[in-house]
Amino acid sequence: MLRSSGALAATSAVLAACSSTKPSVARIGESPTTVKLEDLAVTDVVLLRTAMSMETMATAMLSNPAVTALASKDTASVIAAFAADHTSHLEDLQVLISARNGEAYSETNAKLMQAYGQTALDLVASGKLPEDTLALTLAVETLIAATYQYFVSLAVQPALRADLVRLGARSSRRAAVAAQLINGGTGGFAPANDKGGIALVATLPGAFGSLSAVQVQLGPVNEVGSRTTVLMDTPSLNSLIY
Amino acid sequence: MSMTTRRRLIASLLAGGAVIASAPLFAGQASAAEAGGPPLRDAADNDALNSSLERESRMVSTYRKVIVGLTENDLIAMTLILDHHVAYAQALTGYLAVDVTTPSSAPLASPAGSLTSVARQLAALEDQTATIHTDNLATIKGIDAAMLLASIVTVEARHSAALELVAGASPIAAVGN
Repeated sequence: MLRSSGALAATSAVLAACSSTKPSVARIGESPTTVKLEDLAVTDVVLLRTAMSMETMATAMLSNPAVTALASKDTASVIAAFAADHTSHLEDLQVLISARNGEAYSETNAKLMQAYGQTALDLVASGKLPEDTLALTLAVETLIAATYQYFVSLAVQPALRADLVRLGARSSRRAAVAAQLINGGTGGFAPANDKGGIALVATLPGAFGSLSAVQVQLGPVNEVGSRTTVLMDTPSLNSLIY
Repeated sequence: MSMTTRRRLIASLLAGGAVIASAPLFAGQASAAEAGGPPLRDAADNDALNSSLERESRMVSTYRKVIVGLTENDLIAMTLILDHHVAYAQALTGYLAVDVTTPSSAPLASPAGSLTSVARQLAALEDQTATIHTDNLATIKGIDAAMLLASIVTVEARHSAALELVAGASPIAAVGN
């Protein structure tokens, strides 16, 4: 009896020590306490509110004076039409949110604007290169399409997944048009390099929609002859609009 | 109280203490298992996925006819789109595995002539294909299949817009406005 109860007592002690939430390592001096993050669920409404923030961000970026002032006459009207499309998507999203008793969101995605949106606009403004306006447009449309594609994996309702893909497909079409305006004709469909080995813009860069970060080179040429590469990621847990 | 009963009581108390002490260790795993999100795959999706596969199979046959007689960049571009549809058919076949039903390979059209003259017809076929997949998405329960179809529709939308431009549409018209 003593053997078995001793083993059980030892097991209890070990497990009880493991289950403790207090730090078990002795410290000297003060240490900051960890504040546990609030548990937030990624619901369909959260995805739709985040989509609204992304569409608003796309509108803000494509109609920013840094872009509109630099765009050529031909491309300015196209970029303006793309910006208007994103505004119209907000209405579609509002309907989907209302149907789920959610609250619409009318601001840009502040975290992503801070992470790369404003940086991209600042680079376009400082570079003063008209071609940057189309490069930024292509990147933004590719990002929005990827966002909707990614949200399909998070959405709960199958019907909503289809709605998200429909919205994403519109951005995908705009991305293809922007790519063709940069590198037109059927010669621009497939990925290829120029004579110097630099990758050209491809209208159809892959068979399946990519979810990796969208890369775009913007701004002035630096002292070593290269330009800044901006990485644009789809929203994640820390940039969703809960 | 007899000796045997006392032993049982002590053993029970110790065992109970061990269970209580270990409960927090397993609480996280338990809550994760009970999350109850959508399934990764669902056998009920197979019919819809087979219909998507059939469409892709027929798109492959259509593009095999399109590339006949094309040259240079037009040939490269249409072969690229053909390869994309081959990849979609292969991906869906792989996903369905033993649940695949042999799809039709009848072409959806017999486009002949220059790429410019058939591009609008091909753009319409791409739109219809994307619509079939999107409608299927609205019924599919499995997340893996939904993600696969979403990644296909994203690129087929690009096919369509690019082909509209080849057919002579303006940039704003090519996006579908």
